Amino acid sequence: MAEEITIQVGFGDQFHDLTVRLQDGDIPPWQPDQPLDVVGQRKPRLDAVAKVTGTAKFSQDQRPDRLIHGRILRSPHGNAEILAVDLTAARKMPGVRAALTVPDTFEDSSARYAGAEVAAIAADTEQQADAAMRAIQVDYQLKEHCVTIDASMAEGAPQVGRGDQENVQRVSPRTRGRRRGQNSNPDADRQVVEQMARREKEVDAILAGSDSVVEGTFRTQVQTHAPLETHGAVCSWEDGRLVCWASTQATFGFRGEMTSDWGQVKAGECRVLSEYVGGGFGSKFSAGREGVIGALLAKEAAVPVKMMLDRAGEQTSAGNRPDSLQKMRMGVNKDGIIQALQIRSWGTPGSGIGGAGAHNDGIYKLGEIDKVEYGVRTNCGGAKAHRAPGWPQGSVALEQMMDMAAHSIGGLDPIEFRKRNDDHPIRGAEYDIARQRIGWDLPRVRGGAAPICRGVGIASNLWFSAGGGGASVLVRISKDGAVEVRNGAQDIGTGTRTVMAMVAAEELGITLEMVSTRIGDTNDPQGPMSGGSTTIGTLTPAARLAAHHAKKELLAVVAERKGWDPADLDLRKAKVIRNDGSDTGLSFKDACSLMDDDAIEVLKARPRRNYAGFSDTNAGVQAAEVEVDMETGVVRVKKMVAVADAGKLINPMTAESQVRGGVIQGVSFALHERRIMDRHKGRMLNDDLENYKILGSVDCPEIDVVLIDVYNGKSNTQVMGLGEPPIVATAAAVANAVADAIGVRVFELPITPRRVLEAIALQETPVVQPKKKGARL
Amino acid sequence: MDKRAEESPEGVSRRHFLKGAGAAAAVVTVAKIPSVVDAGHEVSDDPVILGPGSIPITLKVNGVSREIEAPPSTTLLDMLREYHRLTGTKRVCDRGSCGACTVLLDGRIVDSCSMLAIDAVGREITTVEGIGTPQNLTDLQQAFVEKDALQCGFCTPGMVVSCTALLNQNPTPDRDQIRQGIAGNICRCGTYQNIIEAVEHASRKGGK
Repeated sequence: MAEEITIQVGFGDQFHDLTVRLQDGDIPPWQPDQPLDVVGQRKPRLDAVAKVTGTAKFSQDQRPDRLIHGRILRSPHGNAEILAVDLTAARKMPGVRAALTVPDTFEDSSARYAGAEVAAIAADTEQQADAAMRAIQVDYQLKEHCVTIDASMAEGAPQVGRGDQENVQRVSPRTRGRRRGQNSNPDADRQVVEQMARREKEVDAILAGSDSVVEGTFRTQVQTHAPLETHGAVCSWEDGRLVCWASTQATFGFRGEMTSDWGQVKAGECRVLSEYVGGGFGSKFSAGREGVIGALLAKEAAVPVKMMLDRAGEQTSAGNRPDSLQKMRMGVNKDGIIQALQIRSWGTPGSGIGGAGAHNDGIYKLGEIDKVEYGVRTNCGGAKAHRAPGWPQGSVALEQMMDMAAHSIGGLDPIEFRKRNDDHPIRGAEYDIARQRIGWDLPRVRGGAAPICRGVGIASNLWFSAGGGGASVLVRISKDGAVEVRNGAQDIGTGTRTVMAMVAAEELGITLEMVSTRIGDTNDPQGPMSGGSTTIGTLTPAARLAAHHAKKELLAVVAERKGWDPADLDLRKAKVIRNDGSDTGLSFKDACSLMDDDAIEVLKARPRRNYAGFSDTNAGVQAAEVEVDMETGVVRVKKMVAVADAGKLINPMTAESQVRGGVIQGVSFALHERRIMDRHKGRMLNDDLENYKILGSVDCPEIDVVLIDVYNGKSNTQVMGLGEPPIVATAAAVANAVADAIGVRVFELPITPRRVLEAIALQETPVVQPKKKGARL
Repeated sequence: MDKRAEESPEGVSRRHFLKGAGAAAAVVTVAKIPSVVDAGHEVSDDPVILGPGSIPITLKVNGVSREIEAPPSTTLLDMLREYHRLTGTKRVCDRGSCGACTVLLDGRIVDSCSMLAIDAVGREITTVEGIGTPQNLTDLQQAFVEKDALQCGFCTPGMVVSCTALLNQNPTPDRDQIRQGIAGNICRCGTYQNIIEAVEHASRKGGK
């Protein structure tokens, strides 16, 4: 029976009552006045000791007996058709145990970018595999290539896709009812085009009627994920069953792929293990060709194969954040209210078409929106979800437009302008914190008035991460007092393992040290992927529910053995207590020893739906302070303030780490990282970690994190994820701070010294552009 | 500038060796070194031809000397991971630009991916496993745990080794010195600030 309860929701000193109808079997969320012993404490992660001593075994470190090494041969050509692959000589090389070709294995003979898989070898040693790779004979038919969106969008550009696939294709608004294999459905497409034309006309009219119109063209670059542990797995066949020690963000997804037609493993005959994962950032949801290749090579060789990518393969072929070209027009009235926004965006996800949009919908109230997104096919390695896919690039453009619009109406303060166009229930308070902590109103030498100028910039986050159904957690209390929490999902460095244990410890009234966890094994209960920042919101309500019912069972045993009323008993501070808080004198361990059975085991699934709580989204505000050398163009981010919220905070320490990590990747995106393609050869020039620049310790700014604890009522733990929200606003805040410092805007990321100097020298891109009524994007 | 050793003292670095030998057949190693088998052997002026097959290589790792057969072209990193089965030292870029494979060689940090195992003969090699154990963490490792100076953990062993070397050389580094001390180590998750705090914390405790 659904139980109706009244709970308090809100944050800070702003709480109000909310009536919630609990789903079957669920328990009420923690309340603001409820004392908590573990949840909300700064706790070191449970795997920290293993990680600082080098005893944590990642996939790369697995070494089953008789392990041999796999290598993938990649096409060196910008675009080619594989006519033939001859493995004869390679198979005869010393140590070679297995080999395959990609055209035979995946029925795909097009190597559409430099880095595309062509063949694979497994040999006793890596050196032998490398030597054998050089003996593979490949007959390529070379084709023309395009490796930048400009080249691909140009008149007469060679076709990247197949059949009737055009290089540039609209991906939003979508045409529904498109038939498989067809580029378009002409009838449905015509309707969409007509709607788009009407929309454009409407928004043109609103812009024409606005007091001020600003416009800008923004570009962002391709960013690779570059997790330190590369993609891949150690694959081993044991009695006809496949075991994969996989570096993955989705143990169950990896298994699902391996047991699909594509992966060629029978259902129920694959186990995926991922106790430790060396980063993913959105690139490791798929088993990928390397996973399938590893399994096939291991099968042929009849010994375990380590098939981990090398760094060059990781950089070219394991995923990236697409680039973007964004053209925008924003209409705003003198009172500082946005009237309309027109957006046209292009981006390349590689030779495919989807997933290259630039997102910013809903961060602010933007009036009437006319937005069209295009995907651009290029002969480059394919994009993958990358920490808040689409959002940092969309934010970079939108937030700069916000500043330009505020400036155009008499220089309205950028924070005040944002507040006037923002109705997020949490963010209003966050602006004031960011303003104060970055020293927004302090005097600075800015606007290019001295050799070294300082500036500040602001931008906002938005994310949607309360989790959902699809996870079950097993809680096991043993007769000897040991408590184990089990789920098959992985921890990619976010702290999932630790927060799951903290929630269980809280519910069981014991310390975190008394709980052990087992994760990263598909033989354990179903868990979510580490994606969309939903992992913690999906897992923790199941962990709490399972712990709650395990506690009930334990207290029932105690009540029966002692002749007490079970309804009067609870667990707190590792003791059995009564409802009035008095101690029964029985410790948790003593209580466990009263069991007749070896253990109590409870498996509980997370309630599928979330409640209509206080806020469905994470907000967050970031402010940057930069220092720019007007003579060298070098930008240094001195300080970032990151105000973040993520529902109820389970472990503020690991939450803070997540925010710092997002900010660092965002600063790195703003100033340093970019994939550089050789237009002539079609190859990635910086497929390494020295020419692909990642922010290091010397350039890392001071990061001031402020966390807001929100009781949102969305689930029994009220937790939201925090992997993605903190990277959304960072680059935008830095870009706005640079413009504040030098008095002119740099419209393209990364903001390199050369681009800064060019912007200063040319001054041809004024911060405020003249109103051009009727001009079209 | 990152202060790690660019070359081994004997003048045979992996990078220079590969340049000289050509990329096609990096299996025979020509080394003008005393002896790769026995460090105490008398110095000879004749170049020694090693390989292509395995040769016995004696390394002293974390205080223990072991002789293991391996091709002379084996890097110190691969020797540690594949032959000594010490997998705490990580392979990330495999070309000396990320610091994940950092080990101590006679107390100084080196990128173990960018030197040959035979060049480490007769030297004291310390890997992350030789710094502290789960039951007996150093103050620095304890500070890493308490300050959450790690996320995915893949850069962490290299960071721990670099910071250990820093504190050995300078027990009271300031923030800029700590930043410089880990300048050769890339962290993708973004733990730099927590690492700086951990080193400061360990420094205040007077430990390493």
